[in-house]
Formats: sequence, C-alpha cells, structure tokens
Amino acid sequence: MLGENKSGMLCTEFDALLTEAVEGTLKGEQRLRFEQHQAACATCEALFAEVTKGAAWLHEMEDVAPPPMLVHNILAATSGVGQAAAKAEEARTSAWERLRRQVSGIFAPVLTPRFGMSLGMAFFSVTLVLNMAQIRIKDLTPHNLSHTFYSSQNKVMKYYENMRLVYEIESRVRDLRNASEENEREREERNRRHEKNNNQIQEQNQNNQPQPGGHQDFSLGQSWRWLASMGGREMYLGELAMQRREI
Amino acid sequence: MLARFTAVTGRVVEARVEEAQVVALLVRRCAAGDAVAWEELVQRFHRRIYNICYRFAGSAEDAQDLTQEVFIKVYRTVASFDGEKASFNTWLTTVTRNLLVDHFRKKRNDRMTDSMDAAQGADEDGPSLAERLASNQPSQQSHVESHERQQMVHRALQLISPDLREAVILRDLQDMDYREIAQVLKVPEGTVKSRINRGRAELARVLQRTYRPAL
Repeated sequence: MLGENKSGMLCTEFDALLTEAVEGTLKGEQRLRFEQHQAACATCEALFAEVTKGAAWLHEMEDVAPPPMLVHNILAATSGVGQAAAKAEEARTSAWERLRRQVSGIFAPVLTPRFGMSLGMAFFSVTLVLNMAQIRIKDLTPHNLSHTFYSSQNKVMKYYENMRLVYEIESRVRDLRNASEENEREREERNRRHEKNNNQIQEQNQNNQPQPGGHQDFSLGQSWRWLASMGGREMYLGELAMQRREI
Repeated sequence: MLARFTAVTGRVVEARVEEAQVVALLVRRCAAGDAVAWEELVQRFHRRIYNICYRFAGSAEDAQDLTQEVFIKVYRTVASFDGEKASFNTWLTTVTRNLLVDHFRKKRNDRMTDSMDAAQGADEDGPSLAERLASNQPSQQSHVESHERQQMVHRALQLISPDLREAVILRDLQDMDYREIAQVLKVPEGTVKSRINRGRAELARVLQRTYRPAL
C-alpha cells in the first residue's frame, strides 16, 4: 500500500511530505501532487486527517507554570545562591524569633492535643499523690529539700548504728553464754573424774592391806592420787599417764 | 505584505541571534564560576525544561524532580560545554532528554501501561478518562472546555510510545526545528519527521477512541 503510485506520487513520498503539508510549508508543484495523491488514496487521506487533528490538539496545549520554589530549589542544590538569600533572611530575624522557632521545632511532636491530654492527666495524678502524702509545694524548695535529705540520712545512719550495736551485744552475750556453758561442762567433767578417782582410791585403800606373799605395784599416778587424798584436798592433777595394774 | 512578512521574520531572526549571544555569554560566565550568571540561566530555561519533563513524565512531582536533576547535571558539566558543536539550548535539551529516557526505563518496571482510570498530570484529582467518556455534563465555558481538552491531550500523550512522544513534544510543544531535534535524538531528520507524524496520528487515534463524545 505504501508503495502504490497514485497521481504520480508514491505513498512513501506522500508520507515524507506529510510534515510540510500539515505545517503549511509545502509549495508549488509538490503541493499539487500531494493533494492529488491525497484525493486518490484513502489510506493517505485518513493518515493526513489524523496527523492534522493531532497537530491541532497539540498546538492548543499551553505551558504549565512550574512550582514557585523550583528556581530556589535548583539554586540551593547547585550554586547555593538561594541558600545565601535564605541566610540573609535568617540574619534579619530577631534572636527571640529564632529561639522560638528552635523550641517549637523541638517540642512540635509533643504540642499536640493527644499529648496535651496525657500531660494533664499526669499533672493531676502527681498533684493528687502530693496532696495525699501531705507534701506541700513550699516543702519542695531547695533549702527544705536539702534539710529533708540530711535529716533522712541521719535517721538512716542512726538506725544502722543501732542495729550494729544490737548485733554486737547479741554476739557478746552469745559468746558469754557459750563460754559459761563450756566452763560448766568442764567443771562437771572434772567433778565426775574426781569422784571416780576418789572411789577408786577408796577401793584401793580398802583393798590395799599388806597381803602375805602379795605384792603391790603402785604406778606413778596412783601415788600422786594417794598423796592428794592423804592431803585431804581435791586437786586436779592434770593429764598424767596412769597405769593401774590389777593385783 | 511580503515586505512586512520579511521584516517580521527578520526581526524574529535577529531576536533569536541576540538571544543566542546573550546565552553564550552567560554560559561562559557560568563556566568561570559566576553564580549570578548561573541564576540568570536557570531563570531563563527552567520553565521550558519543566514543561518538557512534565509533558513526558506526566506527573508534576516527577517533573519537578527531573528538572532539578537536569540543572544539577548541567551545573556540574557546564565547563565542558562546547558552543561550536551545538547551541546551549540544544545541549540542555539533550541532557533533559537523556534523563527522561533513564527515568522512563526505571519506571517501566513498575508499570507497563497507564490505566484508563489513572488520573495523572497537574490535575491529580480530576476525573479519570473513563469517567469523562461516560460524563454527560456539558461544559459551560470555553476556557473550561479548553482546559479540559488540554488535560485529555496530556493524558493521551502518556499513552503513546515514548519515542513518538518525545518527538512530538519537542516539535509541537517546544517549537524546536527538525535539525535541532535530530541532534537531540541523534537520528536523521527524516526519522524525526516520520516520528512526529506517527506521534500526531497515534495521539489523534487515542483521543478519538476515548474522548469521542467530548470532542
């Protein structure tokens, strides 16, 4: 179809001249041949109509206004000229305004109705607790707070010291009790041994009569005990090696 | 009449030459580090670049981001611009076109085609294409109709092939000549003309198919 020759012009040639024909720059014989082919070829006629309509709609289009900050953003991203202007603008604002902006920026997430409600409830709760604990606001001055701190510290120290004293006293009493019990046990042990020794000595004295052909063998311990019993004194003779030979 | 036409044409040509000389001087000063010259260049070209980006990308947000990227790239490479090879306007448009192609390829993975129900462009909350097709509300004022038609054409532009779209935008919306477009797109002038015609025809078919009642 594109190569068909109608009115002395091929469709491909028609297609090549289409742009000039639509824009109205086609002149003379070329324009005549073009129009003749257009009248003879339905396909090219339809193509010409579509291209003409499309061009017409496109020529109706108007420029779109760019965003107002576009130039500023471009300059800020490139030469920084816009940043210089912004800095000059910043310098012109007062220190109070700059401080206000900074503080607003920091507390912006908190200054919302939701956080305001939460802060109000927290304040109410704290006030209620202070009231119930009978803590007054004037008690929260630095002087009163330091006084309260030191007095509390003293109380704690005293309590600690008292507790230590108590523990020490208890420990000493326990030691004394243990010592007295130990002494008591030792004394009883000595008494028991002494009685036992006395009984033995008495038995020996009863049996210790000269026997014909008998021989009595006194060990060293027995001699000491005998001497002690003769003296009539109760003496604790200590640990001596005793050896008693049965007669 | 011919004399008047010649005079008018001559004045237009002189204005263009003068404009080109001013731009060339600004570019030289930018390459030397003159921030004031750079600001002047941005002021002169930002609207045009923004419109190219907006008509190609379809979204005001994307257009703003792309425009900034274009000027950032130009700022970094302005020292390497050679005025002998092409005009600054052509070079700037080439940088823009390359970024638009990269942007399109990146977004192509996210969406294949626009839905008829997707509302795009500056009028983000406007009715969708299908809603307009079904709408029976007559427009009361011509400028409202014109605005609506422009919105429809803008949305229809997003539905044609990107190769045809960029050729149509550069010729019919930015009024660049075929030689410059050929330099930007790096194709012969014949290919440029062919793409422009096919783009116009495709746009007309899309509009006829979806907006016949309104048009």
